[in-house]
Amino acid sequence: MNAWGMIFMASSWGLIVFLTVYSFIKVLKDN
Amino acid sequence: MSEKREQWGSKLGVILAVAGSAVGLGNFLRFPAKAVLNGGGAFMIPYFVAFLLLGIPLMWVEWTLGRMGGERGHGTAPGMFDKLDGTGRWAKYLGTIGVLGPFVILIYYMYIESWTLAYAWYSFTGHLPFGAGQAEMKAFLSGFQGLAQNQYFSSLAPALAFFAITFLFNFYFIYKGIQGGIEKLSKYGMPVLIAIGILLTIRVLSLGTPDPLTPELSVKNALGFVWNPDFSQLSNARVWIEAAGQIFFTLSVGIGVILTYASYLKKNDDVVLSGLTASATNEFCEVILGGSIVIPAAFIFLGGASGALTAAQSGTFNLGFVTMPMIFGKIPLGFIFSGLWFLLLFIAGITSSVSLIQPAISFLEDELKWSRKRSVLVLGAVSLAACLPAIFFLGHGFVDELDFWGGTLFLVVFAAIEIILFSWVFGIEKGWKEMHQGAQMRIPAIYKPIIKYVTPAYLLILLGVWSYQQFWPFIAMKGVAPSDKPYQWAARGLVFGLWAVIMALVAWAWKRRGKGQNV
Repeated sequence: MNAWGMIFMASSWGLIVFLTVYSFIKVLKDN
Repeated sequence: MSEKREQWGSKLGVILAVAGSAVGLGNFLRFPAKAVLNGGGAFMIPYFVAFLLLGIPLMWVEWTLGRMGGERGHGTAPGMFDKLDGTGRWAKYLGTIGVLGPFVILIYYMYIESWTLAYAWYSFTGHLPFGAGQAEMKAFLSGFQGLAQNQYFSSLAPALAFFAITFLFNFYFIYKGIQGGIEKLSKYGMPVLIAIGILLTIRVLSLGTPDPLTPELSVKNALGFVWNPDFSQLSNARVWIEAAGQIFFTLSVGIGVILTYASYLKKNDDVVLSGLTASATNEFCEVILGGSIVIPAAFIFLGGASGALTAAQSGTFNLGFVTMPMIFGKIPLGFIFSGLWFLLLFIAGITSSVSLIQPAISFLEDELKWSRKRSVLVLGAVSLAACLPAIFFLGHGFVDELDFWGGTLFLVVFAAIEIILFSWVFGIEKGWKEMHQGAQMRIPAIYKPIIKYVTPAYLLILLGVWSYQQFWPFIAMKGVAPSDKPYQWAARGLVFGLWAVIMALVAWAWKRRGKGQNV
């Protein structure tokens, strides 16, 4: 894997994990 | 209206149900192949753009229209679209696609789902020819599907048995209702699916370099194969179209299932945060889990880039039912991982298939005022009859025909109808207000012009390009063997015959309503 590959993988994973965790926390907190 | 409509038990329940509907075989088999064939890491650029401008807007529109319809006692698009235009004349007939589409997909989807159950069984019990090559795995599949008689299978009996079990499972959950059936299935099934997915991801990513004699076949290089970007692909329109298509299919928008699920929300239940959460869950399963299992494993065990590329090009079924079990056979305790892989696919499948059944049930309950028991029995009988040709005519293009209409064309057309009705006929100002009723987060204001102009334009471009490239040639049956044409015509007849029945039922239900009750 080259540097660009790492950037794409890390940012995609980061964005999605953040979005998923953030939204579930909001859902569970407001329930 | 006589009885109180069912409702979801919890916000988490409906989110997991919608996520379950969206997460399917495509997350694990279609996405990784599309990514590597369309620029690797660079594919994520058009993919995220499509997610933001096409996927999420449509998701929000469907949740909103669904909840609105449910308030007025309608769980399917005919009732939901009716009166959106203020006249109540023609819109309900456009809505029939939202009842027809899910049913058409269901006809073949449940059969494929039953294969995953069968393969989980055959994995755990050691019947799959692990250790043998590609040809044997292919023969096992062909034998099971009844396309060949060989040392593995001499008849369709096992396939029919697993189909029967799958069929009964599905209708059991449907019979138990929204809370007792679908919500319960999703609340337990989705966490199990994600746990298995994480386990398989860890298994693949911890493979290191299995064969010291071929050090280039490593996890690092495998991930590089998936994620290293080929920026030159970004100037290829085909890649942008493929990305939009993948987002579209992965989120299950344009089918009508989300409309139905959302109709069981309460008036002030949030749709914005819920829709976003369901979408995020789908993306987690797709990009993180789906992106980390199949193609990296193919790279490591099938000789690197060329092997992985061949696997990516071989199609969803081949990848899932031939390549993957073969690869699992090469690792310690492979039969367990193979069993878990197919169990994951089965859970992904059943949470999707119950969502494909529910619109028809809702239609019968809401519009014809049938009891749940009657709806389930009648629909069960009709589904069973409709599924049989898909099983027996598998090799003749029957399923391909159903997949074209229900699984491809209707989706794009219906999504275009939905967004235009929402943004232009009902009106974006009213729609925006409706979306934010009970909302637990505010949608950025930029989404107003996006939902009104950008998403419809995106969809119409997709529709135009695909019509020219794929739809018209398919409708004209270009390249179909003459011996298969009768089967494809039969499938076409089934689709349009069902459509005529649904149209007639809508006309009848509305006429009956006009004479009697005020609804």
